[in-house]
Amino acid sequence: MVLIMFIESILLLSLINPVPSGENSTNVQMDASPIYAQLQQQKDSTINKETIKTYELGQVTVSDHLEQMIKEESSNISFVRKDFLRKNRGNSLMKTMERLPGINTVGIGSGTSKPLIRGLGFNQVVVLTNGIKHEGQQWGADHGLELDQYNVDQVQIIKGPASISYGSDAIAGVIDIKDKSISDRGSQGGSLILNAKSNTAWLGASANVYGRREKWFYDMRLSYASYGDFKVPADTVYVYDFGVALDQGKVRNTAGKEFDWSVKLGYVEGSLKNTLTAGRVYMKSGFFANAHGLEPRNVNEELHDSANRDILLPHQEVGHFKLIDQFSYRFEKHLIEADFGFQLNERKEWSQYVNHGFMPPNYPDELSYSSTLERSFDKKVFRMQLRDEWFLNKHQLQFGLSGEWEINEIGGWGFLIPAYQKVGFGLYALDKFKINEEWQIQGALRYDHSRIAIEAYQDWFPSTEEQEEQPSDYLYRSQATTRTFNSKVWALGFNYNPGKYSFKGNLGTGFRVPIAKELGANGVNYHYYRYERGNAELSPERSYQLDLGGTLKEDQWLVTFSPFFNYFSNYIYLSPSAKYDYLYGAGNQVFNYSQSEVVRFGGELSVIHQINKSLDVELLGEYVYSEQVSGDKKGYTLPFSPPPSVLLNTTYKPLWTLGLGKPYLAVDYRLTASQNQIVPPEKMTPGYQLVDLRFGAEFNVFDSPLQLDFQVRNLFNTRYLNHTSFYRLIDLPEQGRSFNISFQLDI
Amino acid sequence: MKYINHNGIFSTCLLSIFVFLIASCQISEDEQDLISPEIDNSFLGAFPRQCAVIKRGETFVFRAVFKDKVELGSYSLDVHHNFDHHSHSTEVNDCNMDPVKTAENPFLLIESLPIPEGLKTYEAIMEITVPEDVDPGDYHFMIKVTDKEGWQTLKGISIKLD
Repeated sequence: MVLIMFIESILLLSLINPVPSGENSTNVQMDASPIYAQLQQQKDSTINKETIKTYELGQVTVSDHLEQMIKEESSNISFVRKDFLRKNRGNSLMKTMERLPGINTVGIGSGTSKPLIRGLGFNQVVVLTNGIKHEGQQWGADHGLELDQYNVDQVQIIKGPASISYGSDAIAGVIDIKDKSISDRGSQGGSLILNAKSNTAWLGASANVYGRREKWFYDMRLSYASYGDFKVPADTVYVYDFGVALDQGKVRNTAGKEFDWSVKLGYVEGSLKNTLTAGRVYMKSGFFANAHGLEPRNVNEELHDSANRDILLPHQEVGHFKLIDQFSYRFEKHLIEADFGFQLNERKEWSQYVNHGFMPPNYPDELSYSSTLERSFDKKVFRMQLRDEWFLNKHQLQFGLSGEWEINEIGGWGFLIPAYQKVGFGLYALDKFKINEEWQIQGALRYDHSRIAIEAYQDWFPSTEEQEEQPSDYLYRSQATTRTFNSKVWALGFNYNPGKYSFKGNLGTGFRVPIAKELGANGVNYHYYRYERGNAELSPERSYQLDLGGTLKEDQWLVTFSPFFNYFSNYIYLSPSAKYDYLYGAGNQVFNYSQSEVVRFGGELSVIHQINKSLDVELLGEYVYSEQVSGDKKGYTLPFSPPPSVLLNTTYKPLWTLGLGKPYLAVDYRLTASQNQIVPPEKMTPGYQLVDLRFGAEFNVFDSPLQLDFQVRNLFNTRYLNHTSFYRLIDLPEQGRSFNISFQLDI
Repeated sequence: MKYINHNGIFSTCLLSIFVFLIASCQISEDEQDLISPEIDNSFLGAFPRQCAVIKRGETFVFRAVFKDKVELGSYSLDVHHNFDHHSHSTEVNDCNMDPVKTAENPFLLIESLPIPEGLKTYEAIMEITVPEDVDPGDYHFMIKVTDKEGWQTLKGISIKLD
């Protein structure tokens, strides 16, 4: 199936061939500026933005310095800019980025989702905002990332292990989110974004003001969004065999709201720069009321259907506060950078008390938590990193040091993750050596040490069917455990850039320290109805990966192919067993955290062809294969394996403008194959085809540019299942057709 | 026109790598068990079925047949009250429910039981005694069964204690 799709599309692309060459619509500059100058340009805050050359090709806007960076990094690196994000804006930042090959999301409902890079996600992907690692990845598929999607200027994506610079967890890749760079001296401005989406009745707004005097600058943003229950193209969904009738296709209680603010204050003088950023993201969103986790629920349908913006039980509430200081100083041939960050992540899950297993039938009054507080997490993270980049003739050396301290506290009547404290530090050194204009090689080493102390957790109820209870009936769900981990990783890479081709290769290792849940879990996860048993003996996950990349760039073609081959010597896997456990598991199926060898390979293909000045076509393909080659589930794949997928796009940018600025019309056609490689408790997911439509233009309102963008998502209101969605397990289809509109006024 | 040629070669290379990748992936697909076991409680003599009524103070016999294409693992039973109508059975049809009430001394049963090794079909028979002093009303009777590889099938049946 996939194969046929690829052949077809490639044939298609070679058939519709070029207008006479020599008439280039895109002006592609390839001057190889010296690394230092280029870096200076990229990091220099005082740079006049006009001097950065940018051009558009298909859906991507590339600027020279980003392209240069891509050519000088041996790992698989790519960028998306704010215009891509604006034109493709989905319900969350990660949903927007899903269009990129190799990126998928695992999510629930409409407002929340987390990234998967080549099929790996959660704690195997690092998300950074303003240089600081975003904490909040370790929860399950039903939690999203706490980010303001409007407060993003550029996203850098690394596919493949990036543990050298980013430490533990960057085993599958990195999503590095950056906000705006400093504005020019004496400038002042702002922008207003308004957003509406028909499917969820989404209303969103974001306002931004910024300015700079001589040395001081500021930037502030306020964002708000409110959305109703999302709609699926179905009247009834089946939770097991139980048919749940949906009122006008609305998925009960999936409404939500979001309120975010951020303030940035900075100082720049010559080669010194310091920026202090504070911000908070608040989100409240409901879970599908007819199923809490995988359990079919009886609900008051009248109450739920009377309003579609109300958020009743069950729902989640998250407050994520960040305070980040970023400092940089350039002297002689050094660039010194230091980042300090504090994060406070407060998460609460509210749900009606239900006595699962041995819990008492009625919620006892003497407990200190509210009867509807199922779980709460309160996590504080301090993090710092220091970096020195040293530019010596042909060498570019980098030394780094990072440290972190994490405190996690828990609450509520349910138990999933134990409380813990974690400290760690890492050291690394990297050398990029430019042999000549065409060749560059690099090597790197990193050492990490970390220590985690998990607290004991004892049930507040006795696990017994007897009337007479014993002290030993109050089970310990987590034992006090302390573990220390040491990891060494290395990487070797090359870049070869002969003219219109460029090639890169990277062979490296990545690591991930086991998280508290994997080491210490010993309770029932009532979202999945499974008894998850941690293993205090787990060793850090280790991955070896070969990444290759080839790019051809010609007048009207941009072809990128990036295959990878990956081997995990001890992938941490939650393995389902055939057993049930009476005491700790309250009769639920036992899932053991275990380690197995895993082989994965795949790649992404991207072909962009400019047919003429106003028309281009694009093909994006992704493929991943994973297999466990040892352990209990030998021969099986890994959970959340995305099916192969191809996206075909045509973009028309007319030469006539009728007074509009940059009008465009784009059609995306996505073909996703079925996923028949599954592992318990997954289900096989049929393939699907989706069509999205986008168009927009720029207007002038009192000399200020007003950007108008329309999207029709899921144009044919196709009913389909997403293999990596949490609700896949209860056969809930994905969102139906949605008309989205976005205004952006820059002043 | 020489560029077209070039592109042709380039795409052929890419294509052949992809062909290789895709072809090499189907190593062991048909060896794995990807099918969940089945629970059959519809045959004559199977008990309880959806909306069954059980008398307190009496002993009834749980009877169901489990089937798997490769090998069965184990099973588990769970009976808990549903006085607050919190959960729904997994079955198609609804039963008449009593009004919502607060539990005082609800019946609770949790059992995890093995299935002898190497079986593809197993008839589970188990005597269950319901004490006289438990609360009458709506209950859920959950049957869960795994196969050797960890695939699970569950059935949640609505029953009434009288």
